[in-house]
Amino acid sequence: MYNSDTIYSNFTPIVKSAVIGYRISGPLTLVILSQLTNFDFSKKPNFFFYKKLYDKNNELIDIANIVFFKSPRSFTGEDVAEIYIHGSLVLASHLENAISSILHPGIRTAKKGEFSFRAMLNNKITLKQGQSINNMIMSDNMGVINYSKKILFSGDQESALYNLKDYIVNIYSKIITTIDFSEDESFELKLILLDIRNFFKNVNNSLTQNRTSIEQKNILNIMIIGDVNTGKSTIFNKVIDSDRAIVTNIKGTTRDIISENIIYDNKTFKIFDTAGYRKKQGKVELIGYKKAIKVSEDIDHFFIVFNGLLTQTALKRMISDFSIGANYSLICNKSDIQKNNISLANTIRTNRDMPRPQLLKKLKLVNIHKRYIKKGKNNLNLNKNELIFLENIMKKKEFLLSQKDILIIQEIIRNIIDDFSENFGYINNEDILDNVFSKFCIGK
Amino acid sequence: MVFHVKQDFDVIVVGAGHAGIEAANICSNFGLKTALISNSIDDIGQMSCNPSIGGVGKTHIAREVDAMGGLICKIGDLSSIHYRVLNLSKGPAVWGIRAQIDRSLYKKNMLNFISKSKITIIEDEVIDIITKNNKAVGVKSTKNKDIYAKSIILTTGTFLNGKIYFGDEVIEAGRINNRSSKKLALFVKNNFNIMRLKTGTPPRIYKQSINYSNLTPQPSENNGIYLSFFTEQNTNKMVDCYITKTNNETHKVIRDNLDKSAMYSGIIKSQGVRYCPSIEDKVVKFGDRNGHNVFLEPEGYDSDLIYPNGISNSLDKKTQLKFLKTIPGLEKTEIAQFGYAVEYDAVDPRSLKQNFESKKIENFFLAGQINGTTGYEEAAGQGMYAGLHASLKIKKIKLKEQTFNRTNSYIGVMTDDLTKLGVTEPYRMFTSRSEHRLKQRTDNAYERIYPQTKKFELLNSDDKKTINEMISVEKKILKKINTIKLSPNQLLKFNIKTKLDGKVRTGFEILKLLDDDVDKFHNIFGIKINKKLLTKIIYDSKYEVFYDREERAKDLILKNQAFKLKGLKFKNIPSLSKEIIEKLEKHEPENLDDASKISGMTPSALMQLLSYKKTRAKNVRK
Repeated sequence: MYNSDTIYSNFTPIVKSAVIGYRISGPLTLVILSQLTNFDFSKKPNFFFYKKLYDKNNELIDIANIVFFKSPRSFTGEDVAEIYIHGSLVLASHLENAISSILHPGIRTAKKGEFSFRAMLNNKITLKQGQSINNMIMSDNMGVINYSKKILFSGDQESALYNLKDYIVNIYSKIITTIDFSEDESFELKLILLDIRNFFKNVNNSLTQNRTSIEQKNILNIMIIGDVNTGKSTIFNKVIDSDRAIVTNIKGTTRDIISENIIYDNKTFKIFDTAGYRKKQGKVELIGYKKAIKVSEDIDHFFIVFNGLLTQTALKRMISDFSIGANYSLICNKSDIQKNNISLANTIRTNRDMPRPQLLKKLKLVNIHKRYIKKGKNNLNLNKNELIFLENIMKKKEFLLSQKDILIIQEIIRNIIDDFSENFGYINNEDILDNVFSKFCIGK
Repeated sequence: MVFHVKQDFDVIVVGAGHAGIEAANICSNFGLKTALISNSIDDIGQMSCNPSIGGVGKTHIAREVDAMGGLICKIGDLSSIHYRVLNLSKGPAVWGIRAQIDRSLYKKNMLNFISKSKITIIEDEVIDIITKNNKAVGVKSTKNKDIYAKSIILTTGTFLNGKIYFGDEVIEAGRINNRSSKKLALFVKNNFNIMRLKTGTPPRIYKQSINYSNLTPQPSENNGIYLSFFTEQNTNKMVDCYITKTNNETHKVIRDNLDKSAMYSGIIKSQGVRYCPSIEDKVVKFGDRNGHNVFLEPEGYDSDLIYPNGISNSLDKKTQLKFLKTIPGLEKTEIAQFGYAVEYDAVDPRSLKQNFESKKIENFFLAGQINGTTGYEEAAGQGMYAGLHASLKIKKIKLKEQTFNRTNSYIGVMTDDLTKLGVTEPYRMFTSRSEHRLKQRTDNAYERIYPQTKKFELLNSDDKKTINEMISVEKKILKKINTIKLSPNQLLKFNIKTKLDGKVRTGFEILKLLDDDVDKFHNIFGIKINKKLLTKIIYDSKYEVFYDREERAKDLILKNQAFKLKGLKFKNIPSLSKEIIEKLEKHEPENLDDASKISGMTPSALMQLLSYKKTRAKNVRK
């Protein structure tokens, strides 16, 4: 993966949309830009230009916004260009063809993650920051996202691992000082062992502090059920479709059950719409109803929708079909039409014309979320991989503390430091010596 | 003593410091006709800085040279006036055996030894290197004109562009002023990458001017442990060192005059030495301390001089005297020679091949301080190493495995670090540089080095006998004690406490529980053993588990060696960078292990080699 080719790729999904973005990175970036625009960007980095893009045959591709970042002041540390074209699939493929037709052996499409990889190689971001970008994009857990942000914006030192690494390197430095420079500075074995004990204490603290919040469930599953034609889909559509809430596009697994993720008040909900129940059912609808029951195992909360009248029999049937227990809200929809028949307490009244914010408020999503998902501390400072890493470090405690020979202790600690390398890159002898010389007054 | 040279040599060693001597010695022991050229006979074996040999990490190198029939340890023992073993209680893996040396005695003993050897000493000045088709073939000298040889080893120390600083007083040093040696300097500059380094030295003071009455003496220790593995006993008269300390007043004087320090006033710009800080550095960086130790080391039996170790500086002369007088015992001190900082050019050792031969000029080797190192032991180790490889080349001996590598020796670590990583400050050995420090012990250097080098017949017959005896006695003893098996209760009878787990331990396992008490060993096993050997096998037993891991690492290296790369067209591997492809094409590695040893090789490049080879194999199978 490591070479000096100039790479390009789209960095927004290629779907029909307002804009599709392309990124180019590498030494030939300016060559590509001048081929496409016939304009010299080299003197004008960091400015947005509105330029016409042409292919090899001088055919107009699109009018696009283009910005050029000069090495090393770019995301990857190389020359980088970003091109924003109109969000048409045809235009996107035209642009890609135009770039690939430049036919230079040093130009190719980027592999997955290659931009970040280059940024890492050029010391623009650390390994941890690279991971964090990924974690941030992939996670629905607000704690994980906040932690990733911290790493990304403030650097590696936000990770609990960072301090622990420093701690163990310092212990190792003390041992080295005691061995290599015993005339200048020397630490008793007893003190070193105490340090090691404290190290493991800190590891353990980090583990307990993070463990509960990481493993905590963060998405709340809500299923809308009810008889046919009660307006379930109306509620569903209104809940998921809004300017405010971000709706992620996840395909329904079956035709009958549609689910969408929404984020409301920084909390993630997965809403399921189901086929309704009808006494004289056709075969297809029965299958839909049965599927809904099957999926309901993972559902935390149910919205039971009815119009005006909900008989005890119907409620009991649904509660038993879906094994609901007490995890439901009753929603009386179309309440504007049938005002008089409401008989149940704690019923949420909704109607078709209710604006979305009001609907969401009425549905009490925040309260429901609180009910199922305990408020975890959002001050994570480990991700899941780091957690497993620390658990493995913990396993060395007993063996290490049972040693009496400082050289053997040194050996085991060196191994632990090597283990940390997987998180912070290889920590070599020079790094350690640097630490020794900066901390201790050594030498004659 | 001046020889007029008409005939050719096998090897010419230029410079007779610690590197040059060892280089000449090993070449001569290989049976090669060897010339050692020194500007002055008086310079042979000169200890230019502190009057001591050894120390932590350095002892390892010295003992490895010792195991190759080298001189530094033996002549050191002959000339020693004081011994100490640093880290004695921490075990032989990190022993820092150190001897204070009588400077003039050392030179005398060294000259005496070399004069008796087959080495030809030439007192002359080398002014240029003669090359033919990028091969070194001889040297030009002032008196003897052209001298020809198959290999040249240059060990001239810091002769390039040296500058000495006493405060703002600057003196050009080294032979660069001499017009004739400019040619040699130019030759080095044209064929190697050059970098600028800095080091310092403390003032020398008169012994008589010191008031010892309130100082702590540091008597010589007698542990029966000497520099050379082969030294059985040392009957030299031992003298004391003394320790004193700087204080707040000292620090104030230094702080008030920092602007007069060459290093702090900005006159010197090159990289300083982190592990050998000047007293200015110590005061600035660690000013919260109440005092820093100063070791008063005698320079010899008859010498008037004391080497105050710990206060190297580049202050002006007036300040030097002023701060010295604030130190207890030195109130009336007189300075014989002021301390100073030296700036000099050194060769980037990455311009050398693994065997210390120049990458550009064949048969031209460099060793010692010129390669950016510091210390007599480091120099001696390199001299021996360069001499070994020059000899192997002349004798056309091809070895399957490197004699010195990271896994078997500190010399291997040093030469690997130098040629692969280069240096940013004068390179000094520390035990922490070695990844295999439990195995690379001071007491088993012979065991690590001798088996693969005995075919060269480098040792004298006495030393050979000593080693062979040691090895055969050890074998016998281990065989015997392993027939003895004891339970925890039986061990308790010998006053050895273990967990009462009912586990019966073999003799080798019992060793872990012992100390170096030979009588106790005799009680348990009924075998007489000398202390040296007992210590060795105890630590062999203690570290056994870790050796196991190292063995496995070795397996990996073997696996990599089995992964052949021959015939692979590196150009065709699309993901390799041009730079890496160039390196691979140049070195033509036979296998993955070779490739991993190429300077500048990245792990990701190795991965690509692996995956390319593997996917290609798959495609062929299809």
